[in-house]
Amino acid sequence: MVTLPKVNALGFFEIRLESIGGLGANLAGKMLAEAGVNGSGLNGVSFSSYGSEKKGSPVKAHIRFCMPETLIRDTTPVERPHIVGIFHESLHKTTHVTSGIYEDSLVLVNSTKTPEELKEKLCLSGGKIAVVDAIGIALEEKNRVNMAMLGALFRLCDFLDVEQMKSVIRKSLEKKYPNAVQPALNTFQRGYDEVKFQTFAFPEGIELPEPVRWDTPLLGYETQPIGGMVVNPGNSILKDLSISRAGMMPHFLSDKCIHCAACDNVCPDYCFVWEEKPDKKGRPQMFLQGIDYQYCKGCLKCVYACPTDALSSEREEDGYADEHRVPHLFDLAARQ
Amino acid sequence: MAIEYEKEMKSGTVEQRMVYESGNEMAAYAAHQINYHIMGYYPISPSTEVAQFLDLMKANGQHDVKLIPADGEHGSAGICYGASTAGGRVFNATSANGYMYMLEQMPVQSGTRFPMVMNLVCRSVSGPLNIHGDHSDLYFALNTGWPILLCRDPQAVYDMNIMAIKLAEDAEVRLPVLVAFDGYFTSHQKRRVQTFAHREDVHQFIGEQPVRGFADTLDRHNPITVGPYMNEPDYINNCYQQSMAMYKAGEVFDRIRQEYAELTGRDYPILDLYRMEDAEVAVFLLNSAGEIIKDVVDQLRAMGIKAGAISPNIIRPFPAKEIAEALAHVKAVTVGDRADSYGGHGGNMVNEVKAALLTHGNRDTMIINRIYGLGGKDFYSEDGHALFECALEAVQKGHVEKPFDYYGHTPGDAATTPQRVLEPMKYEDLKTGLITVKQDEETGKLNVRIPPLRQLTKKPKRIAPGHGACPGCGIFSGLELFFKGIEGDIVALFHTGCAMVVTTGYPYSAHKATYIHNLFQNGAATLSGVVEMFWERKRRGELDALNLPDDFTFVMITGDGGMDIGMGPAIGAALRNHKMIILEYDNEGYMNTGAQLSYSTPLGHRTSTSNVGTVQAGKMFHHKDTAQIMAATNIPYVFTGSEAYPQDLLKKAAKAQWYAQNEGLVYGKILITCPLNWLSEDKMGTQIVNAAVESCFFPLYEVERGVTNITYNPEEKNKKIPLLDWLNMMGKTRHMAKPENADTLHRFEHEVDRRWSALKAKHEHPDL
Repeated sequence: MVTLPKVNALGFFEIRLESIGGLGANLAGKMLAEAGVNGSGLNGVSFSSYGSEKKGSPVKAHIRFCMPETLIRDTTPVERPHIVGIFHESLHKTTHVTSGIYEDSLVLVNSTKTPEELKEKLCLSGGKIAVVDAIGIALEEKNRVNMAMLGALFRLCDFLDVEQMKSVIRKSLEKKYPNAVQPALNTFQRGYDEVKFQTFAFPEGIELPEPVRWDTPLLGYETQPIGGMVVNPGNSILKDLSISRAGMMPHFLSDKCIHCAACDNVCPDYCFVWEEKPDKKGRPQMFLQGIDYQYCKGCLKCVYACPTDALSSEREEDGYADEHRVPHLFDLAARQ
Repeated sequence: MAIEYEKEMKSGTVEQRMVYESGNEMAAYAAHQINYHIMGYYPISPSTEVAQFLDLMKANGQHDVKLIPADGEHGSAGICYGASTAGGRVFNATSANGYMYMLEQMPVQSGTRFPMVMNLVCRSVSGPLNIHGDHSDLYFALNTGWPILLCRDPQAVYDMNIMAIKLAEDAEVRLPVLVAFDGYFTSHQKRRVQTFAHREDVHQFIGEQPVRGFADTLDRHNPITVGPYMNEPDYINNCYQQSMAMYKAGEVFDRIRQEYAELTGRDYPILDLYRMEDAEVAVFLLNSAGEIIKDVVDQLRAMGIKAGAISPNIIRPFPAKEIAEALAHVKAVTVGDRADSYGGHGGNMVNEVKAALLTHGNRDTMIINRIYGLGGKDFYSEDGHALFECALEAVQKGHVEKPFDYYGHTPGDAATTPQRVLEPMKYEDLKTGLITVKQDEETGKLNVRIPPLRQLTKKPKRIAPGHGACPGCGIFSGLELFFKGIEGDIVALFHTGCAMVVTTGYPYSAHKATYIHNLFQNGAATLSGVVEMFWERKRRGELDALNLPDDFTFVMITGDGGMDIGMGPAIGAALRNHKMIILEYDNEGYMNTGAQLSYSTPLGHRTSTSNVGTVQAGKMFHHKDTAQIMAATNIPYVFTGSEAYPQDLLKKAAKAQWYAQNEGLVYGKILITCPLNWLSEDKMGTQIVNAAVESCFFPLYEVERGVTNITYNPEEKNKKIPLLDWLNMMGKTRHMAKPENADTLHRFEHEVDRRWSALKAKHEHPDL
């Protein structure tokens, strides 16, 4: 009989996956849970955070495993995970991805960085950090990030049966996409093989913070305008959507730009920044200044629309967006 | 650790099979085993998946339920009602606003006594839109005359669905039955569920055929009149019969659940009582929270507190006597209501529990009410402890301090009140003067001049960046391109849909100018109210003080879904010819709820309710020609447009504004890409809609004062491409190139050609 390595007071081993819509974390969570329940005879429950979140928005998947005789009553999200799987390295910018971890929890990150670098980046004081370059593996194997992450997660959940999972992958793909079976299995296996771990001792006296309930809003019944009205519209400009990019971004070369506005016409996220300047004859004319990467989701429609080589499609590198961002000059209201 | 407190249940006598599925999947699974005749449905979160799962099973030949996509919930309820009068088994699933939209049909169905089963996947009914789980829709069901069965987890969803049809058809009941479970908490969480291994065993239990011996509308030898006009004095007697049948349903359910327990080992007594036998304090909750509270009971018991929990499995008829008995020796009970009955000094459940105790002579148990978990706010065990704390405090003090209150609401911090971030757009920036529309005095025709698009980049965008649409979403490029052609101020109304949801996630809003949302069956009527109030207040001089530089341009934005469910009000507004624009972004499906088919989805296209399988290959009927329907209302201006032809769309926007300010209603449709659900590459959006235009699937044209003008003719430019070249660009249509779907492709091509030819004829003849 399978045994769980550790459980909480209600008898659960809990996993939380942190991702953005479109990377397949929901499906990975589903397959992981099914492997535990149908494959290893555990009891379990799995679900995703649902709402009107779209592709590119932060999403979470929650999995609870318990022994077969344990009753499942809880429907709340996993607040204290034994494993956190982070599908997108930049998520920590907008989401507290490691909220509620225990000292002996495992943090798995899709990244090319080392565990030390990630410890720094995620502001972790210690613990066990696992890293897998899921994007790199997926690109090489021409398959999906979630399969590589699933492989790594299986390595971390050694109570689950790897062969069982492979047969699930085979079964779910062979009918519709027979050509995808082998790449998916290779991607899974490489995720399993290539995940690296490192354990960092906690400094003396450090106590991990208790999780903060996610459902406490900023506004309240004393401060919220009646009827749900938004009285400061346009405030979406405060949001940072750069985490929606899943690896690719446009680059802008101003000397090749003819300022035709074809990019501006097709951009769903209003990222192009224009300025009025005198043209060669001294008449006022609009000139494209660059891209406000804070809002760019990396769809690359603009690259396709551009009639010259001013826009190109590139793999996103750390720091490039911050360095090359041309911010919108909004007409901001005076703040007290 | 929560180990089963009660003794192990018997395993039952029927062969069973374990599955690992969600509540929605189990509702669909039960329906496919029952093999209903008809399901009339309309998508709404979180219940939509029920129809999706059934369609997926249908596509692979696993059942023969006829699935009918209605034009709205009112329509779906009509389909179901009609089908139920015709003597077969009928099924539906809905939630929240969808349920409200069909509400008037509910008492008709129960009052004329035609059985069916509907799943209500509970979700909040609200002003500011909330799609998550509470019981505000369920509470509206209390007075409809339908027996209501409740399910705390996916296992119960399956079991109650099997029992519900038997209950509905029972000779002593003959009522439609509602099966209610919590949206997301139960509908979307996967659990282990035991099912009948064989459909024959399900049929053995419920009967292979509906109970016969009752009149139906298809028996020519016994004609009947369904639904006469019934005045007093007779009407009260019909109601009395219905009331009797409802109470009978309680008894019949009690019998059926025992038969079911014999078969399956799973029992659903009228009340689910947990450690109540010696309980001194209790909490009463419906559905999923009624499970979570059991962990809390165990924790309190471990601390020596005699706690217990009550959760009914049926609330219509209301188990008043059973509740009074269960609470007979309880000192205090907290009733949690997951919806308010505003002004009622308590939610619906607490007031019914109080009435039950009074009726059955219990004046000793103290009752506390808390409204909790609204709009899907999670119910953690700490919340359960807080509800018990209310009861414990009453016991300790000997009285109830605060009989009614909310739980889980927060006052907020005065330091973080909303502050304006952006200055309102300046009128002079919006009125560039670069776009001119002049009417020729002799011919009456409009001459439109637009500048190069580069110059218009100076004009502020009406929508701010920072909205949460998917990468590559075609809505926002399409909308702004249209807005660029409009000079001056816009007041916009957005129908429910992707564009609304991703721009207004509270406390954020991406709309720089004034914006209104209303539910997507009613936007056209709503905006026409705004328009007429503008003109009336202007006429009365009430707007003079504002020094408005010009009249507003009123624009309603809708998806193709809003033009299905909202077709009636849109036609109504068109016939009344209000001065406003209706702009439809057509992405060929209900993308906000998970890509279900709309009437605008073309033949053969794959959606989540027109799946591709062994016996079904995408949508079964042709796409709706909304532009022609609207043109037939004889409004002054109708157009189609696309971001792939920006100058064309800009000119049409400018004309639209002129007509909406001078003559009346304008309708325009832009085709936009949904990469997520068209299964296409994000970056290809513009090229795909371009191909739709060049294949003549989506011709660019206008109907101006009744005269049709094709504004871009791919044939004349020698640019026409085969339909398949367009279809091959999208994953949702890739199957259409396969030889087995040649017939579907051919029928689609034929229809596109036919409509294109008809359009050309109209273009050539101003009288057509």
